[in-house]
Amino acid sequence: MTRDEKETASILHRLRSSAAACPRTLAFMEVCGTHTMSAFRCGLASVLPKNVRLISGPGCPVCVTAQGEIDRMIELARRPEVTLCTYGDMVRVPGRRGSLEAARREGARVQIVYSSLDAVARARAEPARRVVFAAVGFETTAPATAAALLAARRLDLANFTVLASHKRIIPAMRALLQGAPRSGLGLDGFLCPGHVSVIIGQQAYEPLVREFNVACVIGGFEPVQILRALADLVDLARDHRAALINQYPEAVTPEGNQAARKLLDTVFQAGPARWRGLGEIAQSGMIIRESFARFDARRVFQLSEQAEREPASCLCGKVISGLALPPDCKLFGRGCTPISPIGPCMVSSEGTCAAWFKYGPRDAGGAPERHTLQEASA
Amino acid sequence: MCLAIPAKLIELKGDQGVVDLHSTRLPVNTLLIPEAKIGDWLLVHAGFAIQRIDSRAAAQTWAALRDLAEAAEESPPAGAKDRPDAAPRVTGETP
Repeated sequence: MTRDEKETASILHRLRSSAAACPRTLAFMEVCGTHTMSAFRCGLASVLPKNVRLISGPGCPVCVTAQGEIDRMIELARRPEVTLCTYGDMVRVPGRRGSLEAARREGARVQIVYSSLDAVARARAEPARRVVFAAVGFETTAPATAAALLAARRLDLANFTVLASHKRIIPAMRALLQGAPRSGLGLDGFLCPGHVSVIIGQQAYEPLVREFNVACVIGGFEPVQILRALADLVDLARDHRAALINQYPEAVTPEGNQAARKLLDTVFQAGPARWRGLGEIAQSGMIIRESFARFDARRVFQLSEQAEREPASCLCGKVISGLALPPDCKLFGRGCTPISPIGPCMVSSEGTCAAWFKYGPRDAGGAPERHTLQEASA
Repeated sequence: MCLAIPAKLIELKGDQGVVDLHSTRLPVNTLLIPEAKIGDWLLVHAGFAIQRIDSRAAAQTWAALRDLAEAAEESPPAGAKDRPDAAPRVTGETP
């Protein structure tokens, strides 16, 4: 047995012993698409005791982007004077009328970028075009957008704007906890996201732990790191203790990346944002400050707030909220597959539905097994 | 995808640098890690360094990433007709 295998076995032993001392089912939520993928990939569910469940929350930035936001991106991309730059997997997310990919096939200029600064460079290189950078993502990604806005101001670019749909994870976690008595979401703790925490820091979770008496453990992405964080969560549940533990100290500091936080504060202010499935959540959005108004696509193009209309029968909203499993959805594996996705949780490679489709249980015929959350909880 | 990739800083001029990502050179901006210096291991996300880490942590993160990238290239489970094609890539996807 290698050292890693010994360590894994020892953590698993601790986790199972602690879980055995708990008389009920424990439910923990991860709020990070990479945790979703990594946990499915290593078959984590198969080694966990029956009374320990890891559910996926609103941690995939593509999946939580509201339908109206996608529609606005497509609407902008269809303008003849606009070049819309965005990160890779936004282009396949269906809006009310097609996707960015479909718009591109019909002649719209849609450019996939690696960095926000690539969009700035494009605006400089093509002064006759109006370049819009459509940005989604949590606190990990937002500083890059803030840096692009600073660069645009420094360069005095007249043809560059940002359509910012960045979101803050803590207000969403708070909203889930506040809504729990009504929604029936029973949570014993959060497995907190590693690289969001690099920016916001360990201390950002302290108010949640205090106010809601909920355990929060920050974890890395390796299977053994996830397991270690889960073992801590089970220990805390066994001891009826809510605490904050950082199991990813090699990257996450108590106060986070202060340069990034300062940059975010310079460019954005907290405001309401719409989340798929969760609706509007106060303070969960990053609104471009007045001092950067001339680079704010919402203001410059006078975009209207459109009514939310999510695809009929799609359960992505409930899946994101931890209230349904992908097989609960009528579309899962039938109308909605990774090849022809209907909801964003199937589009994003790290969406819960895509991970479930690829790694979830299968029936004798090889099709994704269809069993419901109630059955899984039983 | 809120995932940052560990890579070694090999060139730096102002806040514009180049990282070596397993023999691939990628541009990196160090605005968020002002103390970055050549030879540092950095977590890079969407073209920006967001943290300095030690080489051991870099190796660990890289191992986890490699597993996820390999997962993307695997064949589908036996019997699955509708092959998932949304392969997660290490770079270029929504960060």
